[in-house]
Amino acid sequence: MFVLTGYEYLLGFLLVCGFVPVLALTASKLVRPSRRGPVRRTTYESGMEPVGGAWIQFNIRYYMFALVFVVFDVETVFLYPWAVAFSQLGLLAFVEALIFITILVIGLVYAWRKGALEWS
Amino acid sequence: MNLAEGVQIVSFGILAAAVLISALGVVLLKNVVYSAFLLGGSFISMAGLYFLLNADFVAAAQVLVYVGAINVLILFAIMLVNKQEEYAVVKGAGVRQVATGLVCLGLFALLGTMVVSTPWAISSATPAGDSSIVTIGIHFFTDFLLPFELVSVLLLIALVGAIVLARREFVPENLSASGEDEALMLPERQREMVSSRDDN
Repeated sequence: MFVLTGYEYLLGFLLVCGFVPVLALTASKLVRPSRRGPVRRTTYESGMEPVGGAWIQFNIRYYMFALVFVVFDVETVFLYPWAVAFSQLGLLAFVEALIFITILVIGLVYAWRKGALEWS
Repeated sequence: MNLAEGVQIVSFGILAAAVLISALGVVLLKNVVYSAFLLGGSFISMAGLYFLLNADFVAAAQVLVYVGAINVLILFAIMLVNKQEEYAVVKGAGVRQVATGLVCLGLFALLGTMVVSTPWAISSATPAGDSSIVTIGIHFFTDFLLPFELVSVLLLIALVGAIVLARREFVPENLSASGEDEALMLPERQREMVSSRDDN
């Protein structure tokens, strides 16, 4: 038994979204000139000449951004029910959520001080 | 307004097919990046199945955590070790594949019989539906308050541990002494080792 409301709109959006790439690719196929050549197969890099291959080893420093992101992503999952039930929870829950966020802000400050957020 | 019965069945069929096809793609495709993206597709289809089971919070958490976080981490890990190498063909690969397939088939049969033979206690009560998130939120801040606060400590530990590991402040001595295989060494590690030695 399906009891959630409003999901027919989601289904409609999904159907429309499914048609967007199909229409975009079909329209460009109809409009574009059919020239062949080496330039046609290069990657579009916003006007820059692509240099080297895309299949290279990336710097491990980027992994740190991903890890910090994961931690705050999980935090979002836990704060989401709090935000939805906010009007029924009262002041005590607000303080408890502040404690929750404060503990994680300590982690953010640590990451900041250790230079984990610097993009270099 | 609600989703009609037929729409639900059709959606379930599409989602189940998407889960199965992308899961097969994860296993069978040679390119590991395609496998990682298909794993994300499998996770998203699973979230759709959770929606059909009235578990909207679980579905949202599935998309946020598995697609947004776990799959991104997997892709990052692939990008970090992505070296194009020519692997030699293993001898008797066909026999190995058949053996692996048989083991997997046996495991599948075992799990299948278990699912069929277990007397599931299916509740006939009406699902909570739209109010389920509010219920979860109220539970978080009343009887599950301590685990909820401990989760933040756990996340803090994970964050600090990740930073310590990624910065490589504690590189074992034997690692720097022995000439480690160049292919296994990330370029970052060398530089970090030099800087951490300077700090000490």
